[in-house]
Amino acid sequence: MIEFTLNSKSVRTDDAPDTPLLWAVRDTFKLKGSKYGCGAGLCGACTMHVDGQAVRTCVLPIGAVAGKAVITIEGLGTPENLHPLQAAWAEQSVPQCGYCQSGQIMSAAAFLADNPTPSEAELESAMAGNICRCGCYPRIKKAILSVAEAGAKAAELGTEVSA
Amino acid sequence: MSALNYSRRHFLRTAGIAGGGLVVGFSLSGCSASEIPLQPLADAYAPNAFLQLTPDNVIRFYCPRDEMGQGVTTGLATCVAEELDIDPAHLLIELAGAHADYGNPDFGGMQGTGGSTSIKAHYLQLRQVGADTRALLLSAAASDLGIDLASLTTANGAVVANGERMPYGQFIATAADLEVPVATPLKADSDFKYIGKEFPRLDGIAKSTGTAIYGIDVDIPGMHHALVKRSPVAGGTVASFDGSAALAMSGVTDVVEIASGVAVVAAKFWQAKQALAAVVVAWDFPPLSSVDSAKVRADYEQLMDSPEGESAESAGELERGFAGAQGVVEGRYWAPYLAHAPMEPMNAVIKIEGDKAELWSGTQGPGIAQGLVARYAGLDKENVTVHQTYLGGAFGRRATLTHVIEATQVALEAKKPIHLLWTREDDIKSGVYRPASLMNIKAGLDDNGKIVAWAAKRVGGNITPGTLRAALPGVMPAAVSDGVVDWVVGLASDVMDGWVVDPSSTEGLYEDYDLPNREVLHVTKNHGVPLTFWRSVGHSFTAFAKESLVDELVEQSALDAVDFRLRNTEHNPRLHNVIQLAGEKMRAMRPEAGRYLGFAAHGSFNSYVAEVAEISIDNDRIRVHKVLCVVDCGLAINPDIVVSQMEGAVMYGLTAALHGDLNLEGGVFKESNFHDYPIVRMNEAPAIEVVIVPSSEAPTGVGEPGLPPIAPAVANAVFAATGKRLRALPLRLT
Repeated sequence: MIEFTLNSKSVRTDDAPDTPLLWAVRDTFKLKGSKYGCGAGLCGACTMHVDGQAVRTCVLPIGAVAGKAVITIEGLGTPENLHPLQAAWAEQSVPQCGYCQSGQIMSAAAFLADNPTPSEAELESAMAGNICRCGCYPRIKKAILSVAEAGAKAAELGTEVSA
Repeated sequence: MSALNYSRRHFLRTAGIAGGGLVVGFSLSGCSASEIPLQPLADAYAPNAFLQLTPDNVIRFYCPRDEMGQGVTTGLATCVAEELDIDPAHLLIELAGAHADYGNPDFGGMQGTGGSTSIKAHYLQLRQVGADTRALLLSAAASDLGIDLASLTTANGAVVANGERMPYGQFIATAADLEVPVATPLKADSDFKYIGKEFPRLDGIAKSTGTAIYGIDVDIPGMHHALVKRSPVAGGTVASFDGSAALAMSGVTDVVEIASGVAVVAAKFWQAKQALAAVVVAWDFPPLSSVDSAKVRADYEQLMDSPEGESAESAGELERGFAGAQGVVEGRYWAPYLAHAPMEPMNAVIKIEGDKAELWSGTQGPGIAQGLVARYAGLDKENVTVHQTYLGGAFGRRATLTHVIEATQVALEAKKPIHLLWTREDDIKSGVYRPASLMNIKAGLDDNGKIVAWAAKRVGGNITPGTLRAALPGVMPAAVSDGVVDWVVGLASDVMDGWVVDPSSTEGLYEDYDLPNREVLHVTKNHGVPLTFWRSVGHSFTAFAKESLVDELVEQSALDAVDFRLRNTEHNPRLHNVIQLAGEKMRAMRPEAGRYLGFAAHGSFNSYVAEVAEISIDNDRIRVHKVLCVVDCGLAINPDIVVSQMEGAVMYGLTAALHGDLNLEGGVFKESNFHDYPIVRMNEAPAIEVVIVPSSEAPTGVGEPGLPPIAPAVANAVFAATGKRLRALPLRLT
């Protein structure tokens, strides 16, 4: 039995310890916002926060998150209570197919929490782990910079559930 | 228009056709036998297949086309909302299930989404639906209120009488007893409130919060997860298999043979994936198993050098054209096999109970999906409900629905609701592909820089037959027996494989320029790789050949890249115009030292695009810094979505230009995932400036036309930088 917190709630599962966190979250805890894209840590669609760090969960065994705090896109914000990045994404029509965007936003949120006023080069490097096949990169970049420029405080960009 | 209303949740439900209230006999398909797709729900009213109104003024729009990222839900909602007179953001958008009323007028009524047709095909139809429904509501209001129709008007979802606003929903009971008007006059363009205006996509919040539902997210009671071990060589079949070790593993319930291979069924995905590795299969391989990419290329070269070739296009007198030419340029161009690699791999969820089935999947053809389930489960189509979901990318890939057949077969064998998912490796190695192509163009120039002779030839597989072959069992009438279907499919495949005029194979090779003397030849040659449409289809490779060759003609002429193209596009005013506009902007660009510009233009899907790429070379690596894109797509319904489609098409085309390459070894594609089939990432993505030509022409395609010019624009910039002509994709300097 492995226990951890998922979006600030304690959870436990008897899934095999080598089960990737992504599949435990999707199949066992039925949160479908985090996506499967490659299964090899190459595309970033599965990105969640583990103790505040952006992690590729398709290759992270749940055995490694015992006792840790896991935040998914559902824990970052909701349609009724959007995280600033989610609001920027929607206002600037960043998503096309939208499938990679949970991962993009989770990577961006962890990055901005660490580096609230990034340079473009830092941003491009930090976001290079997330593939968008629709090619939304110019808008992803613009949305992240707009949030940074809005002076959103680091405290608001953390990985705690905002409401 | 207001910004997004965050108090409303705009995500689509997966619940197919929900609700419907009072339904009147009104079928847009014109097929009297077809049932109205919206079924009664208490108190609601559906005047047609697309709109449903409730007394509390909830107005649902059933979007007939599939949302794969191109913004079609927003675009088509805007068309209907404009004439209905309601803010599109107030519509609840649902994805339509399978029904004749949701056919694509540009596809002869077949329910498919592709070819950049959606806005073009539905622009007037859905405006008419909105206008007729508004007229109906006004008539009902006049009757209810006892007020002269002429003194009534509407404003954002309400009838207005004497300054008082009364929501549309108030009048639906009366409306249901009236005849739905037809051919109500449409608004003048100058009266548009929403068409042509920019506002955020209506699916933006759902897609930024993880609440948008894709096929992979569907979770139904009792559902088990399935993965399939397929033949590593396309077309291979199971000789024998041993599933005993897999069956003994945790969570595994079934190991079953299906047409495409051996499936493992388990309670959870990860259990199925672990167990699949323990399945041992011996295969019978087709002749493709002896084919390497080098052989494909060599065979194509041999056919190119032979006189063989069927005429796909010809006009004027080619020999006389060349005889009068002052200069002749010839180039041979290669484009490799490519996978679509949408971010969401193929998947389908199915439940079969008794004589009924329900399918959940995001496809480019819900009607095909319905037909496939019906045929492979032996059910009546009417008993197969298709729930369309969002598509996590498609690019042509989700028109071939092998995964729907697989899910059906596994569910029948395992007797359980099934969630079948392809892994990324399945997607890259076992899918359907953009064909490899070898193209040769020889052109003659006169002293004035006019092209006087143009001989083009393409060698490669045809694109359309494979897709049709995969779809036919789903679209043929259920009364036709399986044996007959097999026979027809086999016959049709033979006919289509030899189909020399598959327009997709040669489209884009000759249409753009004034070519008084021209000939296009085609040699169909496929080694057995399954082929299909890939974003911009034939244009994805022909534009590279055509615009690269034209750049060589420019070099031979006394004109520059812009003036040469202007001189040779007299018959093509809209392409001429985008070349002019992009050229003016290019001449104003001042690239810093070490950066070089390349130009290309191409017409496709009834739209016209010119692009300029600004590049540098860094240790033999091509870096694309900026792209200018000028597009004429007629009237832009939502200009910001047009911009995003151009951005996306440039990125998709740039991945193909810089990286995209699949290579056969023993009939197996060597590549398997994003490490060896790389996609352009943020750190490689150029800045993109999009200019939309103001136009009042009818809207045309935007999903694909931005793609074809980017590879030749980059290649032409590489020539400017290095003096080297790169005639093979992907573009490599070493």
